[in-house]
Amino acid sequence: MMKKKKSNTIMGMAFFGPALVLLTIFLFIPMILTLIFSFTDYFALSPSLTHFVGFENYGKLFKDELFLQSFFNTVKFVLIILPCQGLGALGLALLINKVTHCKKYFKVAFFVPVVMSLAVVSTLWMQIYSPEGILNTILGNLGINAQPFIHSASQALPSIALMSVWQGVGYQMIIFLGGLQAINPALYEAAEMDHASSWQKFKDITLPELKPLCVFVFITVTIGAFRMIVQPMVMTGGGPSHSTYTMVYNIYETGTVNWEIGIASTMAIVFAIFVMILTVIQSILTRDKEDKNVNKKAKNG
Amino acid sequence: MSFIELKKINKKYENAERNSVTDFTLNIEEKEFIAFVGPSGCGKSTTLRMIAGFEEITGGDLYIDGKRVNETAPKDRGIAMVFQNYALYPHMTVEKNIGYGLKNMKVPAEEIKKKVDWAVDILGLEEYRYRKPKNLSGGQRQRVALGRAIVKNQKVFLMDEPLSNLDAKLRVSMRNEISKLHRQLGTTTIYVTHDQVEAMTMADRIVIMKDGVMQQVGKPMDLYEHPINKFVAGFIGSPQMNFYNVTVKGEEMTFEDGKKITLPDVVAERLADHQGALIMGIRGEDIKVDEQNRELYKANVQQAVVENTEVMGNENNLYFTYGGSLTVARVSKYELSQMGDKLEFVFSPTKMHFFDKETEENILEK
Amino acid sequence: MLTKKQKTANWILVIILLIASLFFLFPVIWMLANSFKGDAAITADMNTIKAFIPPALNGNFFDNYVTILTDTKFLKYMLNTLFYAAILIILGIIVNGLAGYALAKIKFPFRERWVLIILLLQIVPMETILTIHFLMIAKVGLLNTVIGYILPMIVNPFNIFLFRQVFISLPDDVYEAAQLDFCGPLKYFFTMVLPMSKTVVATVSVFTFLNVWNDYLWPSLVFTSSDLLTAQIGLNSITSNDNTTMGQTLAVITLITIPVIIIYSLFSKQIVEGVTSTGSKEG
Repeated sequence: MMKKKKSNTIMGMAFFGPALVLLTIFLFIPMILTLIFSFTDYFALSPSLTHFVGFENYGKLFKDELFLQSFFNTVKFVLIILPCQGLGALGLALLINKVTHCKKYFKVAFFVPVVMSLAVVSTLWMQIYSPEGILNTILGNLGINAQPFIHSASQALPSIALMSVWQGVGYQMIIFLGGLQAINPALYEAAEMDHASSWQKFKDITLPELKPLCVFVFITVTIGAFRMIVQPMVMTGGGPSHSTYTMVYNIYETGTVNWEIGIASTMAIVFAIFVMILTVIQSILTRDKEDKNVNKKAKNG
Repeated sequence: MSFIELKKINKKYENAERNSVTDFTLNIEEKEFIAFVGPSGCGKSTTLRMIAGFEEITGGDLYIDGKRVNETAPKDRGIAMVFQNYALYPHMTVEKNIGYGLKNMKVPAEEIKKKVDWAVDILGLEEYRYRKPKNLSGGQRQRVALGRAIVKNQKVFLMDEPLSNLDAKLRVSMRNEISKLHRQLGTTTIYVTHDQVEAMTMADRIVIMKDGVMQQVGKPMDLYEHPINKFVAGFIGSPQMNFYNVTVKGEEMTFEDGKKITLPDVVAERLADHQGALIMGIRGEDIKVDEQNRELYKANVQQAVVENTEVMGNENNLYFTYGGSLTVARVSKYELSQMGDKLEFVFSPTKMHFFDKETEENILEK
Repeated sequence: MLTKKQKTANWILVIILLIASLFFLFPVIWMLANSFKGDAAITADMNTIKAFIPPALNGNFFDNYVTILTDTKFLKYMLNTLFYAAILIILGIIVNGLAGYALAKIKFPFRERWVLIILLLQIVPMETILTIHFLMIAKVGLLNTVIGYILPMIVNPFNIFLFRQVFISLPDDVYEAAQLDFCGPLKYFFTMVLPMSKTVVATVSVFTFLNVWNDYLWPSLVFTSSDLLTAQIGLNSITSNDNTTMGQTLAVITLITIPVIIIYSLFSKQIVEGVTSTGSKEG
């Protein structure tokens, strides 16, 4: 009997082993190291001078202007991207789900930007946002003055945010479309028999059925917005005046450009905690809704 | 030493309250065709899988061909197995499915072809040789599974309810094919089924199980005519044996509803130590409605009203209530009683079984 | 049957969506049209509808593309990326597939704990450990090498999870039959499990390919010599070159996007399946 358990263990370790080794080296150890380094003043160019500094980094961080600015920038990005991309995707999905012709064309059309990589989209929109670019030309024809877009400290962030929405909305749209397809059509037919108006059907059937997916999409979009780095890196280098400098950009630059590994690690830990809190909230919200629904149905018999 | 010996085999799953199999002991001779029968959950498949090596043996010893194989890997036990859901390799053709084991055994290619040809021929699979499992019917798939088993010349065949996913007619013809195969090849076979007809028609010996415990083992007719308890009596034989709650006092047997029958001396004697409440069982074919028997036992002629009839073609089944129980009598096709008709019948006195009310043991078989 | 009012409403919806899609696509249309033009033409056409229309089909039509493909290292960058993707797909299927199978079918100690860990790992934002990866690869002297680039990318908790989900539903009796046919576990994995799971293998391959093709940060850290650059990084070096015209820039980014479009159209089913499987509730 023991032999079988042992042979299973051996087989299991053989199969799982390679992944386990790689996970340890490239995930577990880096995570632990990041945690450790966050308590040091590790400067990669003079590693021998490293000391443990306890929570000093953390304390300094929240007084560091650049960090605070990158944090607020990131939050601003989220505040623009989340509603626009989340609601936009939902709206598009609802409309496309309802339309009777050219469905396939619409699905593809709005998905095209998703296919383009971050660097490609950034490069393209650098041209489009250019002072003599096509966007300004069109605005000019509408009687609006040429806008500086990514060249101004006030417009750069929203410009990049909207570009990001443009690129990402098609992806969530597909997810929502899947969710809409999965709704039992019999529910709508029953509502029809109950003389429900279109608005009522939407409010009482579509929205409740989509709630878990909505939560999932909104959290994913939020987390995605939190992780923004490539677009500002390519388009504005974080400026003008650090107006598009994000948290991840800060971590990246502090670590791989300034080699201040200790501080970068501290930022990374703070960032990771944020992201994980968001994910936990999502799972709680999703599970909560499910349980609530189950309890509701049980109560009403 | 017998070819396969199971000595007090026990199986208990980790968080289970009770054993799945308890103290299973059996000796199987070479070339025997043994069937394990019983209702769902009786432990027959579990026992088979322990013999195969896919379930661990919690207690007891298993010997195959003289060797203790409790710890041996399935592939080293010299067994071949046919699975209930066939378990064919979905992306290989029939030919490749059958020859796969031989290929892994590093058998030379010409020999593989010879053996596969032989198996394909024996099982009538020539037409389907190059098809993949998804393009085969259930019966064809099962034959491929058989082919895969027979081609390796293993010492033991294990079959786990191989026919239960086939329709009734196919099952009958496949039964014959498997029996024919067994006669041809002579390989020791252990066959698990929940269908007692399969077991009765195919096996040299039958093992009946209930709740993980072996109830009785013996030749089909032995089980049929000398069941050692009520469970075996009721499980074997179709239509099922009729059971009645009776009270026995001396030569008098009283049924639930007060009707009485006189028992012959021989029977009454043997029941001398078992007076009181018992369960009487008698098979449908031993309830006689013909004139001869009614004349013979006219002291004990009983009456009832026919509630239902089943015309089977070669014989009829008559249903009626007697002694508090729904009874079925198997009668000749010339017996033309209809629903609502009055019926006169006798219980063939030497064919009655008596079961202890608590232990359900067959008193007359002790 | 729809009422006349509903039919009209439908058509209005179609038109609205059509206009919306045009607004949506105008950057892409502009990109495509102008990728065939020289700088002078681009500027000249900017203020007219011609900004969205490619030039006349003459001998110079493909000039920008030709220049990119012949005068720059772009083709090499594309081939590099394809090469890296191919290696990563194969190694990824082996490492992540075996792991997924173990988690699905092999009863080894603490298995369920590892399943939980794999699940949780998907939350970790990769950008935060990029620097550490860089330091590690640098420390063992593998900077600017293909191995150094690939090593941290092989193991992928998401792919392990996908594999596990699919492998769980594989029938156990086929494995038992294979055991009796003297087929060992490793052989079983490569000759039976993978062929029986073609869809998830395709999905994982596609995701891996897209991951490699679109990856920006990590290759920019690892690769310094221009011969090894991937397409995305190479793009940067081309567009920042003073000699590159705007039209050529647009041509380059179109070229980069073409393989991805091909992949998406060929494998849309697998992609949607993979995406929606993450959308489904866990546990």
